[in-house]
Amino acid sequence: MVNDPTLNLLVGKVSDILDTTIEKNVREPVRFLVNWGRLYSLWPVHLETACCSIEFGAASGPRHDVERFGMLEAFGSLRQCDVLVVQGTVTRKMAPRMKWVYEQMPEPKWVIAMGACAISGGLYMDSYNVLQGVDKIVPVDVYIPGCPPRPETLIQGIIELQNKIRKSKV
Amino acid sequence: MKNAGMNIEDKGGDQLVLHVGPQHPGSGHFRIIVTVDGDYIVGAKPDPGYVHRGAEKMAEYRDYIQNIPHLERPVIIDATGVTLPYVLTAEKIIDVEAPERAQYIRMIMAELNRIISHLYWLGIYGIFLGHSTMFMWPMGDRELFIDLAESIGGTRVTFSYVVPGGVRNDMPTNFKERALKTFDYFERRIEEYKKIFFNNPIMTARTESVGILSPADAIKLGITGSNLRAVGIDSDTRKDEPYCLYDRVDFEIPTRKEGDSYARCIVRLEELQQSMNIMKQVLDLIEPGPIKQVIGGVMRGEPGEAFVRTEAARGTMFYHIVSDGEKNPYRVKISVPSFRNLIGMTHLLVGSKLADMPAIYWSLDYWPVEADR
Repeated sequence: MVNDPTLNLLVGKVSDILDTTIEKNVREPVRFLVNWGRLYSLWPVHLETACCSIEFGAASGPRHDVERFGMLEAFGSLRQCDVLVVQGTVTRKMAPRMKWVYEQMPEPKWVIAMGACAISGGLYMDSYNVLQGVDKIVPVDVYIPGCPPRPETLIQGIIELQNKIRKSKV
Repeated sequence: MKNAGMNIEDKGGDQLVLHVGPQHPGSGHFRIIVTVDGDYIVGAKPDPGYVHRGAEKMAEYRDYIQNIPHLERPVIIDATGVTLPYVLTAEKIIDVEAPERAQYIRMIMAELNRIISHLYWLGIYGIFLGHSTMFMWPMGDRELFIDLAESIGGTRVTFSYVVPGGVRNDMPTNFKERALKTFDYFERRIEEYKKIFFNNPIMTARTESVGILSPADAIKLGITGSNLRAVGIDSDTRKDEPYCLYDRVDFEIPTRKEGDSYARCIVRLEELQQSMNIMKQVLDLIEPGPIKQVIGGVMRGEPGEAFVRTEAARGTMFYHIVSDGEKNPYRVKISVPSFRNLIGMTHLLVGSKLADMPAIYWSLDYWPVEADR
């Protein structure tokens, strides 16, 4: 009874469920529906790593208001989050914590590297305590350049991420 | 990777050790390890250093101009407040002096940045106390001051505007009208802030008589800035040791006697008004003239040392530069107000309730990036 795949709709990987339960001809609409649901309810983790968090905060403010685009407020448990926005420089002390936070997030999850420091070390390229690019420890989906990026740039990055999610396999 | 230093300690008995941060809605880039006995905090051990980027060491292999961008990154909310003391110290070493107009524009930028920083603080404090409107209002009004600063400095937050010998470029011609219009709007807004937030019974219940700092303790712990003025000591570097041309303007130092979280809030709110008063006077005093003293070739200081104290948004910012005559400084020491606020926070948390921790923590306006440098 329990092994009956039609009853296991909410257990296991979505891709496996699709393969076993859904007919081939309706897979594309289901993929579209699942991605559509995901891309407009992005919950970011509240992990501030450096000074880009100011512009992240300004983007949540009334003038820029990222919620219009489906990026919600950065409050809540990381177990419910699906986007890790690395807000700036990651130091040697922060790096293991950030990886730990990333590993605790449920699948599917995406990473945005915000700011020059998160991309490649930026202004701190020769500092003794700075990780030269977060893509050395977590896989990055979207890079947002700037030091710090303007809130408009952050919004563009989020829209790029949504485009990526829209095209992704389930 | 092991447990990344996050061991859960058991103290035995009724005591429990709690780690707040670095991933926590109310901690920022910082961790504090508190020991709680029931509802009360009996021990607080801060763990800063999550954003230590070695700014002081980096300053030793960059020259005097190259140092400005990375020295303002620790406090990008208060970018001019943190670079102005560096530039004033470097000017002493290089032996140049900025023209009068440049000094006035520096004062305008410093006061604009103080307002931008205080409004950011107010927004986050609203979130900490669960008052979402108080996040949205200051964040929206802050954008107006960012627009003003952007019209002078060119970017939203990181201006790198103040350079040794003057400022980078002149003010736009219509700045005075725009600024006075914004101040006129914001003075009316402050009254609304008082109605919805500062005279709100929920807000006063959560902050009044919470985290009381005595004047003796404040002096002993080295607290500066608004937190010191909230205990009744009218210390302000702008009055005590005037730099730029602060001796030509007339302003008050807002103080409170209570020393609790609410007093610290009210002092910052009144400082917004004082900053606008200073800028209004400066806009009347400012006259056309050169904005920069051009320095030929690479800036090189005489062997020696210099230090300058200024009043940044969070308190007294102190720079000490040692030069050996090369184009790079030999040593740059930054003494930041946030680090002293951290010591004050540890002192205040012990003995208070765990539920009061957010109200105490952010009322001190502790900015971890600045403390870690």
